[in-house]
Amino acid sequence: MGVGAEGIPPVPALETEAAVDAVRTGIPGRERSERFRTMLAYAVMFLVAALFAIPFLWSVSTSFRTLADTVAGFSLLPRHWTTSGYHEAFHTFNFGRYTLNSAIIAGAITLSNLVLASIGGYAFARLKFPGREVLFMLVLGTLMIPDQLRLVPIYLMLVNWIPAWVGHLGWHNASFVNRNGVILIQLVSATSLFLMRQYFLTIPRDLEEAAKLDAAGYFKTYRKVMLPLAGPALAAVGILTFQGTWNALFWPAVLLQDKTQFTIPIGIANFVGAYQTNWPPLMAASVLAIVPILVIFVLFQRHFVAGVASAGVKG
Amino acid sequence: MGSERTREGLVGYGFVALPMAFFLLFFIVPIGYAFYISRYNWQIFKGPFVGWGNYRTLYHDSVFWTHAVRNTLVYTAFVVPLQMALGLTLAVVVNQSIRFRTFFRAAFYFPSLAASAAIAAIATYILASDGLFNTVLHHLGYHHSNAWFAQQSTALPSIIGLNAWTTSGTMMLFYLAALQAIPVDVYEAAAIDGAGAWRTFRKITFPLLKPGHFFVAVVSVIGAVQMFDQSFLIGGASGGPNYSTLTTVLYLYNQAIGNIKFGYAAAVGVVLFAFIFTVTLIQRLLFGKAEVA
Repeated sequence: MGVGAEGIPPVPALETEAAVDAVRTGIPGRERSERFRTMLAYAVMFLVAALFAIPFLWSVSTSFRTLADTVAGFSLLPRHWTTSGYHEAFHTFNFGRYTLNSAIIAGAITLSNLVLASIGGYAFARLKFPGREVLFMLVLGTLMIPDQLRLVPIYLMLVNWIPAWVGHLGWHNASFVNRNGVILIQLVSATSLFLMRQYFLTIPRDLEEAAKLDAAGYFKTYRKVMLPLAGPALAAVGILTFQGTWNALFWPAVLLQDKTQFTIPIGIANFVGAYQTNWPPLMAASVLAIVPILVIFVLFQRHFVAGVASAGVKG
Repeated sequence: MGSERTREGLVGYGFVALPMAFFLLFFIVPIGYAFYISRYNWQIFKGPFVGWGNYRTLYHDSVFWTHAVRNTLVYTAFVVPLQMALGLTLAVVVNQSIRFRTFFRAAFYFPSLAASAAIAAIATYILASDGLFNTVLHHLGYHHSNAWFAQQSTALPSIIGLNAWTTSGTMMLFYLAALQAIPVDVYEAAAIDGAGAWRTFRKITFPLLKPGHFFVAVVSVIGAVQMFDQSFLIGGASGGPNYSTLTTVLYLYNQAIGNIKFGYAAAVGVVLFAFIFTVTLIQRLLFGKAEVA
């Protein structure tokens, strides 16, 4: 394009596009140098993207190797493809169990966040009650309280207080320094509640007015009117919560002491300490930890970005 | 009407009751309880009241100051500028109207989403003595035969590099939001003035990103001073080799879960909290409220 544009006044009929091209390519040689620059930019970006991907691809490649292959010098692909790394990870090192544990913990916390944050978010967005703003500021304030301050008190509460309380309810000798404790202390997060409330605030009020005329109660309005409209917010909360708890290391490291309850990250931490150079099963375990999140990310990329962006703006 | 408002209020309290009870029990109560525990010689069981004793011990604790605090400050001082520079560069790149833009954003963001444990395991493998990284260096004519995480002099710098890489995607997203808040006509004016790409960036984009810089810096610093995962995974609970990757949070974890010194660990927690809180407060006073857009 833009041939003959130099110095020749644009034909009126072709004004728009030709004029733009004339401006762009008005300087001789500019088009070629721009094309070169664009290609260079793409080359750099693909290179950086490749650098970002190499560690993951390399771990996948190693997860299909034999142990001997990992010390036999460099080769891009496994010399002998084998699934023994996965077999070992699952059976010898118990990562099948750990995967199940991770799924149970992340699943339970995600479900509870969806329920509690959507009901609470609805109330904070729509129902009027004295002290509402103060309570909501309190919720946001919890984001300023770091986990390290909470470690000791929460650990002692889970050892002493909670078992005593549930004992009064008839559940004796319950322990919470385990999976139950990890779930209990993450039932809902301020971020989830914040995201739900912000979303409900954007839903037009007329829809609820109609429900009110129907004499529907508040719970029915929440469930029949608000919840069906809250799809994007529920998706963001669900995805962010699942990803966060699936990957989490801190609270599981504090509370999971029984090996049968380990999550994948704790299993990996344990493995790195004990069998450091048995790479194929370790890389297989890492692939196991990453793939579910990768799949969710590819399917719901939009919600990830929306969630992180709006959770970040809370200031 | 009055009774309807009362009913609405009651339902409102009912709907937020469970979350509020949760936040009260697991966030608000622990602040006071942590301070209470820190005033006792509390090991497996609550021991005698020691007043400021744990804090005095902490003041004279050389492992805490010369290793944990020092490493955390060094880590923060290096990782924060690196994360910001990388995040900004990536954001500017993927903010161009280029093809495959969505692909590049996803590719750069993904390391932020993967489990820290998996990334640390992969990094341990790649940075092992006969790992991919040393192999590449060897072919470039540089011979390095030690595992990067196993050597006292290279362990912490390697973790800094690793985390700058993994978090750059999140920083990119924050910067992207800030970039998109800059009005287009500013750039149009610059284009008419014939300003080149680098000049436009230096004179217009960078200064206009000030609120974005501030927000990213705060998020980055708060994350950095609480670093735990990579030290725990790579250096083990003791932050090895020879305390070179020990951070303050890992030290606290060790005192509590490893040594069962709950009173002392609680004191460490209170001091760290006071520090983070003060830093946040000073930043707010200096720069005003953090906003991306």
